[in-house]
Amino acid sequence: MTKLRGFVERHYLKILEAIGFIALWQIVAIVIDKVYIIPSPLAVFTALFDPEVAVQYRWMEHIAATLSEIALGFVLSAVIGVLMAVVICWSRLLSDVLMPLLIFFNSIPKIAMAPLFLIWFGYGIIPNALIAILIGFFPVVINSATGLGEVDPDLLDLVNYMHASKLQVFTKIRLPNALPYIFSGLKVSTTFCVVGAIIGEFIAAERGLGYLLMDSQALIDTPPMFAGLVVISALALGLFGLISLFESLLIPWQRQETASG
Amino acid sequence: MTGTREEGSRRIVRTLGVMIWQKGRTPITFLGFLVVWQLAVVGLGVEEFVLPTPVSAISHLLLPQPDVDYHWIKHISATLMEVGLSFVVTVVVAIIIAIIITWSRTANDLCIPLFIFVNSLPIVATAPIILLWFGYGIFTNILIAFIISFFPMVINTATGLNAVEEELLDLVRYHGASKWQIFLKIRIPGSLHYIFSGLKICSTLCVVGAIIGEFIAAETGLGYLIVNSQFTVDTPAIFASLIVISVMGLGLFGLVSLIERLVMPWERREEVK
Repeated sequence: MTKLRGFVERHYLKILEAIGFIALWQIVAIVIDKVYIIPSPLAVFTALFDPEVAVQYRWMEHIAATLSEIALGFVLSAVIGVLMAVVICWSRLLSDVLMPLLIFFNSIPKIAMAPLFLIWFGYGIIPNALIAILIGFFPVVINSATGLGEVDPDLLDLVNYMHASKLQVFTKIRLPNALPYIFSGLKVSTTFCVVGAIIGEFIAAERGLGYLLMDSQALIDTPPMFAGLVVISALALGLFGLISLFESLLIPWQRQETASG
Repeated sequence: MTGTREEGSRRIVRTLGVMIWQKGRTPITFLGFLVVWQLAVVGLGVEEFVLPTPVSAISHLLLPQPDVDYHWIKHISATLMEVGLSFVVTVVVAIIIAIIITWSRTANDLCIPLFIFVNSLPIVATAPIILLWFGYGIFTNILIAFIISFFPMVINTATGLNAVEEELLDLVRYHGASKWQIFLKIRIPGSLHYIFSGLKICSTLCVVGAIIGEFIAAETGLGYLIVNSQFTVDTPAIFASLIVISVMGLGLFGLVSLIERLVMPWERREEVK
């Protein structure tokens, strides 16, 4: 009961903050009174939902483009990242060779490579999805490899003593142990993939929300820029929520621990 | 006698080999990577505009080129200034704000969840709006670098300031320590570890922010040079810029790590153990 009340109280604060934020935004918009500098929340809502206004921004087309880039980028980041982590943890030599390289590449500003992808693959959904992979892949592989590697040595001794095969050790001990790490990598990756796709669209695209933002910026049409920002945030939060949902389904014990802790 | 000596020297060689591999794994693998890259490009006859060799990229950076003058100094100093200024501003502002919000329990409970929420959003998407408000230029790029690196920094610092053992607080309160004393003697030293991990994240993000700002709007800077070289399909210049950007990012990261060692020698001692 107290837990429930605490839960309600926490969210009550968040709702209050959201309302306060929108009210503040409205007040600032009224005070400044220049729609090209800061549009009111109402103007942004109109740009997004009023059929007559919204039609000129072709929201569906842009959202579909960005969403497919994000989805493609994220799925491939996740699959390649986890598979590579498995390979890394399987072989000591590969781990010794690949991990320093991965950590090195993770610590350099990879997004600066984005224009290269446009040279290699031209404009469109594929290069932008690849840019998303470029930055979304690293958190997955590094987190997964860390998780697969961090096993209680006593537990390994025990199962080795009981003649467990490498495969058994992997599926029964390493993988379950790594799931929380993998999911925390995936969650970081969701935001990174959105960022990658948007930056790809900033640099060069004919479709997508990043393109819409840059295009509206050139036309000094501010309401769709703010509306685009809202949509991008919603996409990022949606993907993050989806992964969190999977996480709580796949590893319920982890959820119970964080809830009680 | 000779046998043991031989055995001993063999053992020394082996230990030395293991030591070199363990200490120098990163440079060795990285050098190996560069060699494979160079040989692959030359061996497979890949066109330079698709993938230049590392040697070609470096020569574009260091040697004067016959057709184009890249104005390296101008672009590097513009980006370096943006990165440096945005890093300093972000760190100072974030630490001050973290101190203010952790000073009061209410501000803490109100701001931290909000910051964590904002941090999970793709903040970089606000870049075109900042560009619209402030126009082209170095200031805009600094601001873009600031907004993407501010939140991790403030969250890390505030987490550090909050992560104090309750027993320790009880003890010093019992001895009549003032809030100010607790802050200076316990909270700040206790949070240094978190602050430095924030600084390290910040060092990469400031470079990323400056480059993204230069991608979307600038007339100078390495990000501008990269996008410009993309139009002229001058791939070696892109790789040369990437090298400089990476060195910049790693240099700032290294500087932060160095200061960390000087400020918190005890951390390093623990690591060695």
